[in-house]
Amino acid sequence: MHTKIKYFFAFLIAFTSISSFAQDDLLDELDNETKNAKQFALPAFKAMQIGNLQSTKIADKGDLYLIVSHRFGSLKDGIDEFFGLDQANTKIQLAYSFWDGVQLSLSRDSFEKTYSGTAKVRFTKQSTKFPLNLVGYASADINSEIKKANYPNLKFGDRMSYTMQLLASRRVSKNFSLELAPSFVRQNLQDLNFTGDRTHNQFLMGLGGRLKVSKRMSLNLDYAYNFNKHKDSKYNNPLTLGIDIETGGHVFQLLFSNARGSNDSAFLTKAQGDWGKGDISFGFNVVRVF
Amino acid sequence: MKKIIIMAVILISQTIAAQKYFTRTGTTHFKASVEAFEPVEAVNNSSTAIIKSSTGDIAAQLFITAFKFDVALMQEHFNENYMDSDQFPKATFRGKLKGFSLENLTSEKEFPLEGTLTVRGIKKEISTTALVCLKNNKIELTANFSVQPQDFGIKIPSIVRKKIAEHINISLDYELVEKK
Repeated sequence: MHTKIKYFFAFLIAFTSISSFAQDDLLDELDNETKNAKQFALPAFKAMQIGNLQSTKIADKGDLYLIVSHRFGSLKDGIDEFFGLDQANTKIQLAYSFWDGVQLSLSRDSFEKTYSGTAKVRFTKQSTKFPLNLVGYASADINSEIKKANYPNLKFGDRMSYTMQLLASRRVSKNFSLELAPSFVRQNLQDLNFTGDRTHNQFLMGLGGRLKVSKRMSLNLDYAYNFNKHKDSKYNNPLTLGIDIETGGHVFQLLFSNARGSNDSAFLTKAQGDWGKGDISFGFNVVRVF
Repeated sequence: MKKIIIMAVILISQTIAAQKYFTRTGTTHFKASVEAFEPVEAVNNSSTAIIKSSTGDIAAQLFITAFKFDVALMQEHFNENYMDSDQFPKATFRGKLKGFSLENLTSEKEFPLEGTLTVRGIKKEISTTALVCLKNNKIELTANFSVQPQDFGIKIPSIVRKKIAEHINISLDYELVEKK
């Protein structure tokens, strides 16, 4: 009896191992081997900006990007100014990545004749192990429009504005991406007639989204709420609505915004237009990779 | 005596089951370049493959997003616009090396390789020849075959049609070690 039981178990073990071996499809076995592999999600946004707000996209190592942005005058001016097209702010920006996940850029914008330097650093990428793209962003803007002749006490530091942002985005689904951007803007010089009061340090919460409508086109929206804006300030919170059209090495971003500056400190805290009154501008960004 | 038989039965059955060779660092390369245009090619260095040495059964699998291109933007477009990698993250192959045997494999030998390639959820029968040899108890397998984008329902827009070859050459280079 004792040995019979032993035999029974022996055959049972032998048989189960053979049968599991026979049923076990090799593909299932491979599936098992790779089920814990880390898989990165595809990027949440096509271009470096959603519209005006920075996105979590960073130039890949060794890629040079040329970004040409135009912001025209107010649509409200009507046919006399050809709906704002007679007055263009132009920004020309070069962005390059020397190291993986780090992007540096230099630019010049007509709005307040601003020179700007930016740095963007990726902390994490959305993957099967982590739900968000996290990116740090900083920019320093130099206003070269204000002249010493008009303001004898002007110091160089007065020309400076700074922006610091944490960009957190998620590609929620194939067609839908969301971004939150807690932001800090420091303005060394303020025109108290406009700002209402001294608000050199301003905290904002940026919000952005993308909805892909086809493989190469998407609708984009970004907004920022300013927590420190004076109630009498003549500036408004920036709202930008746009379309991305991607063609090979280009992304064309057509947009409408109440901000006419495209540098970060400018569009975040110096948007003068008002969507409610139709005081908005047409604009575009052309993004080209080399 | 009985114990020995019991042990033998168990051991034999276990060793039969363990006669598999495996890799997770296989190299799969594809080339869809057209002369005089930007090269369209990429390499995947994390392909997994398994061979059952007793029968020559073979399976391979890779993640589409693990294909590395020289131009990062091309890689993004490949995943996003052509391969729909969110929807179809993997490509798989399931087939057989005809007449495969581990014996006398110390020098390279050719075996017919036949099976089914699945890309974007669409199956296609593949028939080619694989070069196989056994060195230091590792199976080295190389093979080439070609496919067409339309085999897998991949649409190429007319503006780039001239820049992407009609036949895409795929080459495999896998080194499999015995799976314990």
